Amino acid sequence: MAAVSFKNVRKVFGETISIPSLDLDIRDGEFVCLLGPSGCGKTTTLRMLAGLEQPTSGTIHIGGQEVHELPPAKRDIAMVFQSYALYPHLTVAENIVYPLRKRGVPKSEWPAMLANIAQLLQLEPLLARKPKQLSGGQQQRVALGRALIRKPKVFLLDEPLSNLDAKLRAHMRAELIELHRRIGTTTVYVTHDQLEAMTMSTRIAVMNGGVLQQFATPDEIYYRPANLFVAGFIGTPAMSLIDGDLQRDDNGFVVRAGGLLLRLPHSTLRHDAVHEVTVGLRPEDIVLGRGANSARIKVVEPTGHESIVLMECGGATLCTRIASDVPLAAELRAGQDVPFDVTLAHTHVFCRQSGLRQNRDDTKVTAIKRTRDAA
Amino acid sequence: MRADKFNPLASLVTWAIVILMVFPLIWMVLTSIKPQSELFVFPIKLLPEHVTFEHYRRLIEDTPFLGYFWNSVVLSVATTVVVMVVATLGGYSLARFRYRGRETIAVAVLCTYLMPSVVLIIPLYLMMVKLGLENTLTSLVISYTTFALPYALWLLRSFMAGIPEDLEAAALVDGAGRLGAFKDVILPQALPGIISTALFTFILAWNEYLYALVMVNTDETRPLTTGVMNMLVSSFNIEWSLLMAASVMMSVPLLFFFAFLQRYLTSGFGAGGVKG
Repeated sequence: MAAVSFKNVRKVFGETISIPSLDLDIRDGEFVCLLGPSGCGKTTTLRMLAGLEQPTSGTIHIGGQEVHELPPAKRDIAMVFQSYALYPHLTVAENIVYPLRKRGVPKSEWPAMLANIAQLLQLEPLLARKPKQLSGGQQQRVALGRALIRKPKVFLLDEPLSNLDAKLRAHMRAELIELHRRIGTTTVYVTHDQLEAMTMSTRIAVMNGGVLQQFATPDEIYYRPANLFVAGFIGTPAMSLIDGDLQRDDNGFVVRAGGLLLRLPHSTLRHDAVHEVTVGLRPEDIVLGRGANSARIKVVEPTGHESIVLMECGGATLCTRIASDVPLAAELRAGQDVPFDVTLAHTHVFCRQSGLRQNRDDTKVTAIKRTRDAA
Repeated sequence: MRADKFNPLASLVTWAIVILMVFPLIWMVLTSIKPQSELFVFPIKLLPEHVTFEHYRRLIEDTPFLGYFWNSVVLSVATTVVVMVVATLGGYSLARFRYRGRETIAVAVLCTYLMPSVVLIIPLYLMMVKLGLENTLTSLVISYTTFALPYALWLLRSFMAGIPEDLEAAALVDGAGRLGAFKDVILPQALPGIISTALFTFILAWNEYLYALVMVNTDETRPLTTGVMNMLVSSFNIEWSLLMAASVMMSVPLLFFFAFLQRYLTSGFGAGGVKG
């Protein structure tokens, strides 16, 4: 197990600056997800950590040792690839012991180590098979076994669940969480799926355009997104973002955004909060059926236990959800006007120019979660 | 998937083409076991009345045929080994590594591949004379390499480009060095391509006539192609019986390879085509 750090790491491909400057410190034993849209630099970051790409400048440390000039074989890391990268001409057993062979582990030790891994990942019946004879989930477990067998300092996983169907993905997510709980090795996991990141991580590094947007716990990311990008990227359905203006008076802040008029106490926002803002509202903070605000329903999307409702208010599109067992849910129709209320305490405000968060965030995240649960 | 329905017309046409293609080979084998007296009879008889292997005995015992055969084996094996070693490593380099001039080299290889091999005969001959290699098998190995290597490089580059890069990356992360990853991952995956390219190269070297005619001119160094022609074909006479027996024996190694390795050849056809 080891801590990982990136110090001022820059990566340029030809004339394209993939990562301008990355500073990231991962603690020993953490499970960190690199999360972001395609092309944000998360896989490049992982490959630089693995030694498969060289940083243009900057340093990378694993366990306090500078590694950015070392080849992959000398970094004591193990990696699971999106494609699993199992060697097609070798059996499952040969695939798993391959790292032991390459690193000179005595052959007498292989059977016991292989048996341990096979038992841990339930691979015993598959050891004599070739990769093409395995299902996707089995291949993924073999890839995990090959990574686990030599107990590396850091695990790297590059979207290992993306090729699995939804049900198997959910199952493997739980297995990976349990595996990390048992072995506790520092893990860096790349994904574009926020559900994976939110459920599996100790902390999430959200990236966009090669720039680290926010590096925090899942709760922090969800309840205190650092900027507009994180706010819009995290959460399903996505946060409703409405451009507006902020004024300050003796009683607090007044925000006019779309058709909304929101009065926020002084304690909500920073004293230097800007004038031109974007207001962010999570679907659960927009409550239908009551309140002084009114919106016209555009689309109702029933999903089973709830319905997603898109509505228009003063030119702005808002998204909310309503439980299917609420009587109002059955009455909602496109084109209908419906009153709604906004939970002011959970309103997010961002600078429209820079995208930076303007909230003061004095309340602990755990307290926010408690008030939500109570509501 | 439904099986295709039997089409009698298509089968008839296909068999007609097959017979047309195979008939010369059949005639060659039958002629090689016919006595001299049955060769020019009229009406023509397909099957021999008396089967004889006298022509094979004469070929092996009374002519330098075995010497030519040995020269062809040495020449073809040496050419294949040289070409395959260079082309395997070169194809890996062109497919995997990024360096200045890579695309230029690839285009240059392609242009060389497209050039008719005959244009190089005179300059190569002069070069061999300057090197003191005229009339040696080495001169032929070098000459054959000049036109076999671009083709092999191009074919193997395609094969290796089709191997997922993740496999190599996994080997590097697992502890292999570059050469180790090449040996453990690339070579096994490229094996069908390597075998088919080696077969093509061997066949190319085995059947080559023009360069052998120009570069070597003694019985000690002639391969089968020019040796048999020199021995059995003159302006005034062609020893048909011996010529057919020699042709059958020249075909045996190729038939042997085809029989055991044909599936690699067909995968090679699909990848890079065959130089004419």
